[in-house]
Amino acid sequence: MRKIDKNDIEYIAMGSTVLGTGGGGDPYIGKLLAKEAINTYGTVSLVTAEELNDDALVVPIAAFGAPMILVEKLFSGNEFIRAFEMMESYLGRKIDAVMPAEAGGLNGVIPISIAAQKQIPLVDADGMGRAFPRLEMVTFTLHGIPVSPITQADEKGNRNVYHTIDNTWGETLVGATTIQMGGSCAIGCYPMSGAQVKKAAVHGIISYAQALGESILDAKGKNQNPLDSLVEAATAIKLFTGKISNVTIKTEGRWNKGICEIMGLDENQGSLMLLDFQNEFLMAKKDGQPVAITPDLIVLIDAENAQPITAETIQYGTRVVVLGMKADKQWRTSQGIELGGPKKFGYPEKYVPLEELNKRY
Amino acid sequence: MYYKIGVDVGGTNTDAVLVSHDNLILAKTKQTTTLDVSNGIENAIGKVIADAKVPKQDIKYIMLGTTHCTNALVERKELNKIGAIRIGLPASSAIPTMTDFPKDLKTLLGKHIYMVHGGYEFDGRLISPLNEQEVRDYLLQMKGAVESLAITGIFSKTLPDQELQVATWAKEILGDAVRISCSHQIGGLGLLERENAAILNAALQDVASKMVKAFKDTVRRLGLSSQLFIGQNDGTLMSLEQSQDFPVLTISSGPTNSIRGAGALSGVANGIVIDVGGTTSDGGVLVNYFPRESTQAAQIGGVLTNFRMPDIVAVGIGGGTIVRFKDGKCHLGPDSVGYMLKEQGVAFGGHTLTLSDFFLANDALQIEGALGIRSLKETIERISGQAFSEALASVKYQIQLAIESVVDKLKTDAAEIPVIACGGGAFLLPKTIDGASEVLFPEHLEVANAFGACIAQIGHEEEMVVNTLQSDEKQAMDKLMLTVRKALLQNGALEDSIKVLAKESTPLAYLPGAVKLKVKLCGDLIT
Repeated sequence: MRKIDKNDIEYIAMGSTVLGTGGGGDPYIGKLLAKEAINTYGTVSLVTAEELNDDALVVPIAAFGAPMILVEKLFSGNEFIRAFEMMESYLGRKIDAVMPAEAGGLNGVIPISIAAQKQIPLVDADGMGRAFPRLEMVTFTLHGIPVSPITQADEKGNRNVYHTIDNTWGETLVGATTIQMGGSCAIGCYPMSGAQVKKAAVHGIISYAQALGESILDAKGKNQNPLDSLVEAATAIKLFTGKISNVTIKTEGRWNKGICEIMGLDENQGSLMLLDFQNEFLMAKKDGQPVAITPDLIVLIDAENAQPITAETIQYGTRVVVLGMKADKQWRTSQGIELGGPKKFGYPEKYVPLEELNKRY
Repeated sequence: MYYKIGVDVGGTNTDAVLVSHDNLILAKTKQTTTLDVSNGIENAIGKVIADAKVPKQDIKYIMLGTTHCTNALVERKELNKIGAIRIGLPASSAIPTMTDFPKDLKTLLGKHIYMVHGGYEFDGRLISPLNEQEVRDYLLQMKGAVESLAITGIFSKTLPDQELQVATWAKEILGDAVRISCSHQIGGLGLLERENAAILNAALQDVASKMVKAFKDTVRRLGLSSQLFIGQNDGTLMSLEQSQDFPVLTISSGPTNSIRGAGALSGVANGIVIDVGGTTSDGGVLVNYFPRESTQAAQIGGVLTNFRMPDIVAVGIGGGTIVRFKDGKCHLGPDSVGYMLKEQGVAFGGHTLTLSDFFLANDALQIEGALGIRSLKETIERISGQAFSEALASVKYQIQLAIESVVDKLKTDAAEIPVIACGGGAFLLPKTIDGASEVLFPEHLEVANAFGACIAQIGHEEEMVVNTLQSDEKQAMDKLMLTVRKALLQNGALEDSIKVLAKESTPLAYLPGAVKLKVKLCGDLIT
């Protein structure tokens, strides 16, 4: 167990953006929310999964909705508490700890504010180890843990509880009502036991996010290059160096499908990289050949300051470095690849682990 | 054949250049910024016209660039007493107005901030209706206590009517003298950043009004009938009239102009530009003769906004920066005597020790009317309680540290790149800087700002969200295009020269049918 204070939040938020692999929403809003909550209610205890009692009740609390809406229609704060309390009253017992469902992006920091406000521990674990666009795309699903009951609340006071026949239906139904709520809401989902967290979650992810954040933000103070420092902290593979030469985005169904084209520079002079993204970066192809495929993490870094770039803020002409990071081992099983692999996103390529695609490096 | 005059009003100096239509410098001058601003402008413009000996009627344009508003924010000086109303409850209350403001600015400006019910969903439905009584009650609390008001509503970029309604009530209760900044006219999407921009805009009303009035009166007094423009953050120009209502949009025209100007003067396409004025040193990165724009949201005086701005790192190091000695240690600024250098600086018989005094005493700088070197050295020794050489060394060391940290912040990798010095305070800069391949001091460096103002175009941008399930996207885009085009023509752009810098329609993730539209146009000035 350790305490998380306001300083830690800067680092965790930065690391969450890296783990967001281009999606997950900008953690800035979540960061302010968490800082306000710590200001008002005090520091938060971060516990490891191993420290949980097997029969503890752990509930992931998340912001759900469109990133653009989240920065314009800011949260009231009440929606998270309502989703939390609804879960308690529905299950008829107190929640012992909260955790992020998704450590990548905004949802990596949101649960900090709830933990502060409720003065209960935050578990150093999540269900992705990255960001993914759908509610069922979590390691919990791989272990047969149901998403339901799902509690949902908006800032106006509207509330829902869902019992869905499977985890995919959870996404479908909550997604549909979220649009009517104005594009954003808070949810409580995947209520589970401490024993289940130990088995099914990606462990240590908040501390990992913090370490990634520190590697970028503290590098200069240690006289290190922030990019090298990040590569080392993330044991990442540097896939490409170049300049963004084109971006095309269109919406299919509920998410953006885009291609970001990067013209090679330096050691990649003469090469072209295409990044496929649907909110998150899902496939990196160098001169037509895949070099990183989802569920492995593809991270776009601004070469100017080593800070991660989200898919929404890609700007033509920016000098970038593309990094590949290994997904948690749970994603690399055949079940994991089925749930978070290329086929799930409509790409014909077969998943090959990052390190095999880049053997020659 | 016609001519342009570029004027840059800094905290300490007012610079002007007179250039031919093809941007050759025919005359330049550097005058002291005066308390009323206008005398400095008058002297500067008058001087370049006299020196270049061109007929007044051939001076077609005068472009003004200024760090006046930036200085006011950095120094927290002359800011208006503001009120702020956010329309959007019950949404948004988790992150109250000014949450991420620097503490001192929040204390200064945050006395009357209120959140009221209202706001829209992305598709135009109400979050909640306005509650007239609630708004009026808050306005009454502000009556007599605020000089300007910032109004920000959720999704006002798409539907501004609630902001306008609150503005109407505010005029009625607070009176016409209270200037109102509606966020939909100032910032883009993103509530906090837009609200912050509106607040800063409100805080700068008086600073801007004085500036505009002074500029207009001066030009009239000089018998000129030139068109007047002011530089915007992105390096394009807007009409002087418009700038009075939107001072925050001019806030970083100074740095943009100096970076573009320094690039053009030195012939260096890529490097770091450090513009040293009377109050601050502003560092920026030159990429192919244009300022590198920040991909991160721009901060003004420590406040987050969503303007597209050059990536600037500023420190309080300038010619007028106040030097203090405490327990034998030297502290620089961050405050400055600004335009009062010749009244307050010890070199001119004043009582405040400034950086300029040290360089005058060391004979690295000459200003008419300054004390002799020997007596200046004695004065410095008396104030600092140290030998002059010792005091100078510690001052230079502090400058070196501050400037190297600016260069370090701007640099992206370990490779050494050229640093280009410009601005009237360039003499303060060290000749070698850790991390720089060389430090360049190009000809006309002292008027890089004013020159940069001369080479700018007219620009305007707008953005909004449209629900394509309810209305036609193409129609909405055409309408937005027309709005921006109209604004551009109104500001004096040549119709045939209008170019599309951005025409984007971005579908919003997780929101079927919702599309963000953005248009940015620019054009040459009518000739």
